[in-house]
Amino acid sequence: MNLPLLLLFGFAILLVLLLTWVLRDPRKLPLPDVDLGYAEDPDRRHVTYFPQVRQAMAAEDSAFLASRGSQALTRRVRRERRKIALAYLACLRGDFLKLWRLARVIASMAPQVGAAQELERLQLGLAFSWRYEMIRMKFLLGFAPLPDLGSLSEVVSRLSIRLETTMKDLGERAALGAKLASSLDGRGLDTP
Amino acid sequence: MRSLALNVRVLWGCSALLQLIALILLFAKGGFRRLPFFTVYVALNLSQVAFLVFVYSIWGSDSAKGTILAWSSECVTLLAQALATTEVLKVTLRPYQGIWGLAWRALAFTSALVVLSVALVTHGDWSLAMWFELNRGYHLTFAAAVIACLLLIRYYSIPVPAAYKMILGGFCLYSCTEILIHTVMQSLVKKAFYAYEPIWQSAPTLSFVVVLSIWVAALWKPLPIEVRKAGPPSDSIYQRLSPEINERLRELNEKLLRLWKLEARPQ
Repeated sequence: MNLPLLLLFGFAILLVLLLTWVLRDPRKLPLPDVDLGYAEDPDRRHVTYFPQVRQAMAAEDSAFLASRGSQALTRRVRRERRKIALAYLACLRGDFLKLWRLARVIASMAPQVGAAQELERLQLGLAFSWRYEMIRMKFLLGFAPLPDLGSLSEVVSRLSIRLETTMKDLGERAALGAKLASSLDGRGLDTP
Repeated sequence: MRSLALNVRVLWGCSALLQLIALILLFAKGGFRRLPFFTVYVALNLSQVAFLVFVYSIWGSDSAKGTILAWSSECVTLLAQALATTEVLKVTLRPYQGIWGLAWRALAFTSALVVLSVALVTHGDWSLAMWFELNRGYHLTFAAAVIACLLLIRYYSIPVPAAYKMILGGFCLYSCTEILIHTVMQSLVKKAFYAYEPIWQSAPTLSFVVVLSIWVAALWKPLPIEVRKAGPPSDSIYQRLSPEINERLRELNEKLLRLWKLEARPQ
């Protein structure tokens, strides 16, 4: 088999794999309607727990423990705290993904969608995932760049507040639309 | 003059029977109203079986006239296939005007890209087996374009009814197996094609029989009327929010990048 035929064969196999993946039951993917519920419960945002996490990871605490306790205890506390930081990072990613999905819901409801905007968002999402994995590796290897997590949380928080307002607005508009439709269906029966 | 092998005739018989069942189901359950192009496609395929049996019994499968007539009929069904698929995609994405706008652009872009790639890859081989190259090129373009659209649908978490998913999946599966069969056959039996003709004739028919079985299962229940009601028109919201969201996401990415570039400090 020569190179062009091999390429064609490989491409066909890739298409079959993609088809299998794309038609897989998306039960694991959250539905847009489920995501809308997120906007109604801002307390569920993990970013709100950042002060506690930062407190738990404070360098002063580690120094104090190192000066008073044994080396083994200090190591154990560091290990536990790293676990907390990793869990927090994962939750932060969860927050990011929820907001990202909300943005897709807004796009799917829009009568006109800008290809450039959507492509840019996809690119940003991929970049975020890549960087997130890199930072996670950094944590796992024992490096803790914690101070910057604060500004990360801030960005997610600001975005979510903006989206919450919009989703509320969309909900009101949907309710208004439904009310209008029902009064039209009633052919004026609800008018005095 | 050579006639069709027994196994090929049996497979053609199975294929014709399943197409007939699919057609009956489309009319009996009212699916022809929702998917008229798909109905025409199934009907054309059924007519093609009859046409090919007639052509091969008169001129044989190895004559030039028989080959030209057979491939010409294939062109008609391939065109119908493209129209039927676009119809299913349009029905699925009807409530999502913006996404449909994006999808048809993705379809056009992917098709153009694959056609160009196929032309480059098969450059110089056209005189050898033009019909095979054209057929494979078509299936390659078709499968890539439909999968691109399905990816888009999945990305936006748009719910697709199982029946439509099965129809689209069937089309794609058939195209993918066609590409694989043509590629393997071309590499293995290039010099002695006619010796392997029954295999070449039966393999795609077998895959089509599988696809038809999937379609019959999909058409067993009436097709859903409407996938989902669209939300309120929110063009201004999208226009206003989309750049803002992207800006925030970009900001977040920059923060992450800065975090990554930090001097590594052992804890």
